[in-house]
Amino acid sequence: MTWLTNHLVSLILFTPLLAALILLLIPERRAGALRWVALAGSLVPLGLALFAWSRFDSTSAAWQLTEQVPWYISLNASYHVGVDGISLTLVLLTVTLMPLAILTSFTITERVRTYMVLFMILETAMLGVFVALDLLLFFVFWEVGLVPMYFLIAQWGGKNRNYASLKFILFTMGGSLGLLLATQMMGMLTGSFDLVELGSRWLALTQASLFGLPLATVRAIAFWAFVIAFAVKVPVWPFHTWLPDAHTEAPTAGSMILAGVLLKLGAYGFIRLVLPLFPVEAKAFAPWLAALAVAAVVLGALGAWGQSDFKRLVAYSSINHMGFVVLAVAAAGAAVGTPDAHIALNGAVLQMVAHGLSSAGMFFLVGAIYERTHTRDLNELGGLYARLPAYGSVLTFIAMASLGLPGLAGFAAEFQIVRGVWPVFMLATLIALVGLFFTGAYILKALKLTLHGPLAERWQSLSDLSVREIIIVSPLMALSLWIGIWPAGIMNLFNLTVAALF
Amino acid sequence: MQTLLWLVPLPPLIAFALISLFARGKRGLSHWVALVSAGLSFLGSMTLFAWAVGRQDLLENPLAASTNWLPTGGSWLRVGVLLDPLAALTLFFVAWTVLMIFIYSVGYHNYGQPVGAHDLPGLPPHGAELKGAHGKVPSVEPLYARFFAFISLFAFAMFALVVSDNLLVLYVAWEIMGLCSYLLIGFWYARPSARDAAVKAFLTTRVGDMFMLLGMAALYSLTGTLNFREILSNPVVLDTLATTLSPVFGLSWAALIGLLIFAGTIGKSAQFPLHTWLPDAMEGPTPVSAMIHAATMVSAGVFLAARFFPLISAGWEAGQPLTTPMLVMAVVGSFTALFAALIALGQRDIKRVLAYSTISQLGYMVAALGIGAYGAAVFHLFTHAFFKALLFLGSGSVIHGMEHGQLATGDAADPQDMFSMGGLRKKMPVTFLTFLAGALALSGFPLLTAGFWSKDEILSSAFHGNHLIIFIVLALSALVTAFYSMRQVTLTFLGSPRTPSAEHTHESKVVMTVPLVVLAVFAIAAGWFGVPGSFLGLGAFLPNFIGNFLGGTHEAEAGAFNATPLLVSVGVSLTGLFLGWLVHRKQSSPSIDPLKRGLGFVYTALERKFWVDEAYDLVFIRPAKFLAETVTSVWIDRGLLDGILHGIGNFGNWFGRTLRRVIDIPVANGVPDGAAAGARWSGLKLRLTQSGHVQQYLVTSLMLVVLAGLVLLLVLNG
Amino acid sequence: MIPLSWYLLVAAALFCIGLFGVLARKNTIAILMGLELMLNAVNINLLAFWSYLHHAQMNGLVFAAIVFAAAAAETAVGLGLIISAYRRRGSVTANDLDTMKG
Repeated sequence: MTWLTNHLVSLILFTPLLAALILLLIPERRAGALRWVALAGSLVPLGLALFAWSRFDSTSAAWQLTEQVPWYISLNASYHVGVDGISLTLVLLTVTLMPLAILTSFTITERVRTYMVLFMILETAMLGVFVALDLLLFFVFWEVGLVPMYFLIAQWGGKNRNYASLKFILFTMGGSLGLLLATQMMGMLTGSFDLVELGSRWLALTQASLFGLPLATVRAIAFWAFVIAFAVKVPVWPFHTWLPDAHTEAPTAGSMILAGVLLKLGAYGFIRLVLPLFPVEAKAFAPWLAALAVAAVVLGALGAWGQSDFKRLVAYSSINHMGFVVLAVAAAGAAVGTPDAHIALNGAVLQMVAHGLSSAGMFFLVGAIYERTHTRDLNELGGLYARLPAYGSVLTFIAMASLGLPGLAGFAAEFQIVRGVWPVFMLATLIALVGLFFTGAYILKALKLTLHGPLAERWQSLSDLSVREIIIVSPLMALSLWIGIWPAGIMNLFNLTVAALF
Repeated sequence: MQTLLWLVPLPPLIAFALISLFARGKRGLSHWVALVSAGLSFLGSMTLFAWAVGRQDLLENPLAASTNWLPTGGSWLRVGVLLDPLAALTLFFVAWTVLMIFIYSVGYHNYGQPVGAHDLPGLPPHGAELKGAHGKVPSVEPLYARFFAFISLFAFAMFALVVSDNLLVLYVAWEIMGLCSYLLIGFWYARPSARDAAVKAFLTTRVGDMFMLLGMAALYSLTGTLNFREILSNPVVLDTLATTLSPVFGLSWAALIGLLIFAGTIGKSAQFPLHTWLPDAMEGPTPVSAMIHAATMVSAGVFLAARFFPLISAGWEAGQPLTTPMLVMAVVGSFTALFAALIALGQRDIKRVLAYSTISQLGYMVAALGIGAYGAAVFHLFTHAFFKALLFLGSGSVIHGMEHGQLATGDAADPQDMFSMGGLRKKMPVTFLTFLAGALALSGFPLLTAGFWSKDEILSSAFHGNHLIIFIVLALSALVTAFYSMRQVTLTFLGSPRTPSAEHTHESKVVMTVPLVVLAVFAIAAGWFGVPGSFLGLGAFLPNFIGNFLGGTHEAEAGAFNATPLLVSVGVSLTGLFLGWLVHRKQSSPSIDPLKRGLGFVYTALERKFWVDEAYDLVFIRPAKFLAETVTSVWIDRGLLDGILHGIGNFGNWFGRTLRRVIDIPVANGVPDGAAAGARWSGLKLRLTQSGHVQQYLVTSLMLVVLAGLVLLLVLNG
Repeated sequence: MIPLSWYLLVAAALFCIGLFGVLARKNTIAILMGLELMLNAVNINLLAFWSYLHHAQMNGLVFAAIVFAAAAAETAVGLGLIISAYRRRGSVTANDLDTMKG
């Protein structure tokens, strides 16, 4: 039992990889076995993560459940993993969404084995980013996560998949160059890649130079390199154009994970790496970041409202929601140490969870309707509530969660973000609320064109949600409701960590 | 008692969950669950009200309880319940109207009628064939259970809003009500007009909600709490807010937050300029219009403004100039009152008249708060809920009757057009009498009706406070109100039937008429509990129960009794009623409105609602759509940003190709190729010396040897 | 005595004649004959120098004997080659044997 507790994080991290290996042994024609093994492989980390939650001490802000094994001794880089409140929350989000994504993938019929293996690798990579406590390890997992996604989009995606997958991987990888640069700079200057030590060492540097460049310049370069890398991933306007294409062309489960988890990697990077390690630069450039975040909120909402492709509309909604997260991060950077920063970051983390749940739900429902009608064009759908009442009710619920209806998770998050950002960036908050208004506009547009209005002749014989689909979407609804009614439940996990972040 | 306060909103919520999960498609079960839940909340509310009335110091020591909810660093944001006089009074009328409307809905949706063969979910039922009946009979609503689920959710939200002790829970309930409003206006979702009306309602109120959220954030960050008692009953906090300046236009924080919160009221209570959603909301079933858009949800806006009256009036004393938010409220309220009343004149649809009437009456309340007449405003809120709900339910009964007549005769007239009606007093006597009571209350018919007392109090407050312009505007609107009310009554009930449908109407079922009667009783009697102490004669007999209950601490003293406002109020009411009857009493045509000829272009302006919707479309909606569909999606995202990306990609491509063309192929490839070619060429040339003739080889080698020897000789010797 | 130079002159003359034969005769057998002449001219040269200058030692005699033997062997081989070439190409003209032409 102690062995289990001592290696809990590594187990959570590598169980999917183990499942992938087992999957490789199962022949392609046994699709059923492949699916169920993959599902089991994604449920085990869920169980382990819940167990980790029970073992987690939320009254302490220190790193917990850590493991360290030397890796590159000459570089002082080790395999160092562990969790704190924020990473455990995001780990829980990931391991909750993965089984649902696998269940959604039960409708994939070609090259099932490769598909499932890629998903397992993706899960390990995403979890790795969240639990890594070593910069090199962080970078490795970050990059590894890109490859399975590329293949998932390119092989099982929609009509424009080649363009979309290439755009996704080239753009994101381009951003990660910054990550590599900054990582190397920091490692070289401080002599260690370990995140725990880096915190104190990096901030304590006063006289140092790299290749003849003064410390201030090095800091600035590393800061911007980090910012660009994470800004592409989140995405922050104007680096967002990969997202609509990638999300729209990816298979349903791929979109669920892309929107649900992968975008959070960027935000996590901001919170974990940029804010604590670059307080001076973050404060100086926070207004710019806030401006870009507000642009993401408003232009994302406007962009969503202007779409006639349902899936693309949901993709733009991700840009809109993540804009709030970045806005909160910017405010936290500008107002370090104040209660405003704390509330804003609390809201940011909660928004990450809330958006993960609601966007996964939305993409799932878009996929469900596509499977039945083979179209995503909002102008062709319509009146479906009459034929699919269960689907309609579920879609309305999830759409309201996405809209930030009070009583569901999104509102608790957005309220805290507005509260936290208002004293710091008043004008930005005002403009962001304009964006929030348009959020309502596009959500209602989606509902109106899908569910309401007269029912077209050709949709007269569609079938309502199956049991499998209800099983997939129910946890999302339940969690959204639970967090919305009682946010303290999940917030107790990361509240103290956020407070101690600076 | 605290527990009861917590529990009051819960039964409808449980009803919503139960109906949604277990009673879909089961009509009887769903309405019983809903009715039981409404009844339970009703009992709880009455118990609490009775308790509240019995206490002398409710204003200073309201019933309260709270619990931790949101962790914010080291502390918590608490949420809880509060029962003070305002909440108790509101709870009273909310509980009554909700219960009456729930009961009414059973009949409205034709419970017990056969299922229509051609009725589709999402469209209003249009009749079923029944053996032995003349023509068709009304059929039961296909989505019956769904209706009761949604109104239960709504009832939960309204109760929660009333009992909440902080702005956050109020906002949560506010938004959930907005959701229910959206769902219920779009109840018959297959109809494009209903679908669009629902979206319009949601989005228009959302504009106000966004501002309210800002106000909330500001209030929270400045005071560290959102609890009503901690902010609004705390003179220190109010003083600080009133004296600290915000960065916006030199307003104090109290003024700014007051304005922001008032923006929420403008949206929710459909004041100008965010009023356009309410008339369109009439697309929903009539019980929805009655409950949400007359008695409760729109009242929530005024309730909020009343709650925040201490903040809005912070720094104001009676007799002093109004604070900025108060001034804005007074102007907006009185303008809306007149504006909407005028538009109501040009409407033919029975529900639309009532919708504009609601907007107008809410304007009264808002204006009253704006001039500091807190008690008058709340009193009017109280009485208006009853008589407006009554009027809407009455109109629903009329429409029901008309539809029945239409189904029986196959007539093509619009059952909601007043000009198709006429003479219904004989066909639907109970509806007529109750509707008349409501209309008289709305017009402020002297002494007998509740509306008189509450409206008179507002007018007299305006007069006594020296707000003469407001007084005149409100008096004018009262005149117009009386006029259109009588117009409505005359066209609908008096005279003789103008269409076959009107001929064949009959009275609605008991389950629909009993709520009408109950509400009519309140429409008449409720006013007698608010008679001002200084009113001639009567004031001595009847204590000003409501005024005392609410506490006179918020408002100006009435001072000595002055006959002018009373005379004006009675005068405009009777004049309007008389004129309304006069103009329309001889109406015989189902299509021509005599006002049209009389007013000409003005009538068109009224009919077209002053073209506000068209203006909004032109100024806001179309540019926004253009911004969204063209500027953002096409120009910026695809054009500019993707253009940059594609540009980078194309540049990379071009660069690679050029490098290949300029360096790779000529140099990296070319040099070795050249070397090889050179070697080959020299080989080809040298090959020519190989003739194959041995003797030539020998000659050549001999000569070379000789040459070498000579060279050697020279070198050795030289 | 006859002066040494007369022997050398004769040998040179014979050598040149032989050289001419090797370089200019068409028939391969004639080339061989010229080759023989050159070899024998060399012999005369050798023996003349031996006789006149180093009569006491055996070097010159032995060398000349080796040349005789080598010449004979070489002629035998050469003739064998020519006959083999004749059988293949049907000609003994030197210019006809040009398969090594590049």
